[in-house]
Amino acid sequence: MHNAEESIREAAKKLLSEKKVDLIVGHEQGTLPLRTTPCFIDKVEDVPKLVWNENCDANLSKYLIGRKERMGVVAKGCDARSIAVCTFEKQIVRDNVVIIGAPCSGLIDKKKVRTKLEGKELLEATIEDEQIQLKGEGFELVLPKKDFVCSSCLTCRHKTPPIYDVFAGTKVPEVEADEFSDVADLEAKSSKERWTHFKEALDKCIRCYACRDVCPLCYCKTCFVDQTMPIWFGKTTDLSDTMIYHLVRAFHVAGRCVDCGACSRACPMNINLRELMKKTEKIMKERYNYTAGLSLEKVPPLGEFKMDDSQEFIK
Amino acid sequence: MDNPYIPSPAAIRKITVENEEKDIKTFELVFNDPEDLKDFRYKCGQFAEISAFGAGECPIGIASSPTDEGYIQFTVKKVGVVTTALHNSEEGTVIGVRGPFGNGFPLKAMEGRNVVIIGGGFAFTTLRSLTNFILHKTNRDRFRELTVIYGARNPGELLYKYDLQTWKQRDDISLNVTIDQAVPNWTGLVGFVPAVLKELAPSSDNAIAIICGPPIMIRFIMPVISELGFSPEDTFLSLEMRMKCGIGKCGRCNIGNKFVCKDGPVFTYKELQMMPKEH
Amino acid sequence: MEKKRIPKLIKELTKEHEVFAPVKKESLVFFEKVSPGSEISLDFQNTTKSPKEVLFPQTEILFTYDIKKNGVEIEKAPELRKKIALLGIRPCDAKALSLLDKFFSSGDHKDFYFSEKRRNTTTIGLACNRPISTCFCTSMGGAPFGKEGMDLLLQDINDKYLIETVTEKGDKLVEKLPWLEDAEKADIEKARDLARDAERAVTSEISGMSVTKKLDGMFDNPLWDQIYKKCLGCGVCTYLCPTCCCFDVLDEATTKWKRIRIWDSCQFSCFTLQGSGYNPRPSGKERMRQRIMHKFNYFPKNHGENFCVGCGRCVQECPVNFDIREVVEGISTDIWRKKNG
Repeated sequence: MHNAEESIREAAKKLLSEKKVDLIVGHEQGTLPLRTTPCFIDKVEDVPKLVWNENCDANLSKYLIGRKERMGVVAKGCDARSIAVCTFEKQIVRDNVVIIGAPCSGLIDKKKVRTKLEGKELLEATIEDEQIQLKGEGFELVLPKKDFVCSSCLTCRHKTPPIYDVFAGTKVPEVEADEFSDVADLEAKSSKERWTHFKEALDKCIRCYACRDVCPLCYCKTCFVDQTMPIWFGKTTDLSDTMIYHLVRAFHVAGRCVDCGACSRACPMNINLRELMKKTEKIMKERYNYTAGLSLEKVPPLGEFKMDDSQEFIK
Repeated sequence: MDNPYIPSPAAIRKITVENEEKDIKTFELVFNDPEDLKDFRYKCGQFAEISAFGAGECPIGIASSPTDEGYIQFTVKKVGVVTTALHNSEEGTVIGVRGPFGNGFPLKAMEGRNVVIIGGGFAFTTLRSLTNFILHKTNRDRFRELTVIYGARNPGELLYKYDLQTWKQRDDISLNVTIDQAVPNWTGLVGFVPAVLKELAPSSDNAIAIICGPPIMIRFIMPVISELGFSPEDTFLSLEMRMKCGIGKCGRCNIGNKFVCKDGPVFTYKELQMMPKEH
Repeated sequence: MEKKRIPKLIKELTKEHEVFAPVKKESLVFFEKVSPGSEISLDFQNTTKSPKEVLFPQTEILFTYDIKKNGVEIEKAPELRKKIALLGIRPCDAKALSLLDKFFSSGDHKDFYFSEKRRNTTTIGLACNRPISTCFCTSMGGAPFGKEGMDLLLQDINDKYLIETVTEKGDKLVEKLPWLEDAEKADIEKARDLARDAERAVTSEISGMSVTKKLDGMFDNPLWDQIYKKCLGCGVCTYLCPTCCCFDVLDEATTKWKRIRIWDSCQFSCFTLQGSGYNPRPSGKERMRQRIMHKFNYFPKNHGENFCVGCGRCVQECPVNFDIREVVEGISTDIWRKKNG
């Protein structure tokens, strides 16, 4: 991924100095190992702050929604795809945005690293070739990177953004990943087992709404959880309430979710939130042969009505 | 330990529809337990948390005066879940009351001085309490001249028409009621409250101004108040904020390090000038 | 006390208390109610959620009621007389409890629920021999071996815990544990050395003490336009924070009506939204400013101390790596002012 870093900076510099954009949204070095943080650059001299690596995990399309400035944005495949969805849904004005597409070789999952370290603190991490080196007080580990890549990246086919204006670095060929391999476990469960599985998972939820707030598709001005007239469901962390929250959110992003995995990465309680989304994504693929965020023109199946839809669910 | 979160049940004795739009009603309450009334010793300008059981709780300014014996009154505008539930209640319904909360108007400081009360729209409720308190025979001597300026969009939106009638007939109050635009058969003043205030120009000599109204009205009133010579220390404003607990714990009604619910809702203009502009 | 005596300690405590202690769940650690024989984890960095939830749960019933034909029957909350023991609470979190105590018991009205529970709580803390890189307790007036908010403090001296009594409540508890051995002079010295080493090991230092004054008059500073930008407005920081304690109150019905309070967050857009639709804090900028000002200016003005204990949870868990240390340090050292000309 590093080979793209310089190209991203060049592209950003060019866009800013030619006044094609007011602002570049990108990633800069974070304050912890394996972390980067979103940054907003409006001066050419600040461009060297931009980094590009396996820790650039924020989906930056979130920062484009409802903005009036002309913005350049550094985008991975999943960022670009959610930009496409939001553009189609008229939340992002395409003409105001210059997408600096960048190749992605998969993000590092901090949680997988944390699990591996069993409570020991990570002080330094370096990623080179296909290896990740983890250092802390009294330990130093060199491990294969692939074991620590985010699950969403393992099944991602679009490591090169399908939509971009400028491309930085070298394109990665489309991967023939088995997109839905991680739903297999879920599908193998009986409905009773699935219920238990979701109950156990969602019982941990503290309703901090990090999953909603990092989700590029959760842009409703007033989310249904915040509505008071009427109050749709309870605000507590009782399972019945958290379950409604997550299920309705899943329905709401069905057919739109690009599986960027931001929800799972954001969850402080380690809930694998994308599991539910992934299943809906698979249904969309099987039923309508539709993958969200690949085009700016194609009307999503849940966004249109056809007289000859089978509608067997109404029976 | 005393538990300030438990409301006292009180029955609605009387409901008065206050305005033409019928979205403002005054509820007269009688506590189920007379002891609760004794404990509910309030000052003009304070508020209480009102429970509509089955809906929730919200803060409402006290519209009756401490001189009104045996009952308390709250004037409620229908805005959210709780106020809608209150509006749907009938006479006899039991609701809950917690309070009184807040600091109230500076009655001590007002004694022996002229009082200018300025209110606009729905925010007149606690000012009505104050006016009735001052006009009460046991109190009137303690205050000097009383001027009331009260404005509403149109005559139908004026609250407490029955009180306005009574006050008009007294000679110990200068009552100035205004509406935004002229309508047939209106014999009172016409114009926005700030303009009327400027026109009337009540003297600021030995006077205290008490103001309550929508933010936009306040913004235009303050320059006039300064022009008339009211000092920031002698100008009091009653604020509104989203509140839940009423006792400075839930954390949402602060302006800077002050909580509107417990340090307010009444602040001097001087205090407000020193506080962040976040209200 | 020998370390292997921990189960015995739990057993003794459970006789009179509901005991809460850190329990490992997958890769996270939580304070949970334990019983004799429970596996507890005292070898942890710090719990994912703070132990504030034992005294200030995310959902708490204030009272229940029945709506009857001719009135309402209010069933007051049960008297909160149950004794609670918090075993293994870290010094930062114990300090947080004492800050919460200060706040909840201030003013004309005490917060009945918190104050009652706090009164009935005994803290048997665990000093931190090895602070981690995001710990900044020493910058907030605390220390890895800090005793504020503790009744007893366990100090890990290899195979034993040295137990220091801090309060009368602690003394009384120790009296009930006659099997505890007397500490040797060497143990006390060892603990003192460890405390000193631990304090030095807190490498993250910020100017936590000067920030309050700096923030005076900074309400309208352009820095707020900058720092909030990457914040997405979720509640991770405030919900994991051991001191954040804003709440919402509402009525809910299951079999009975109940008035509950639930955690709320100043970072949520509807936190200050008024019924009229007006919102005095309409964007992330005002909400971020509120969080920083509350912790480092408003609270210190009202209660004399920062409303942050430097536990580092918000630093570690923020989805976009918003680091409160950078902001505080930036304000204290004028970096933000300079950045904005």
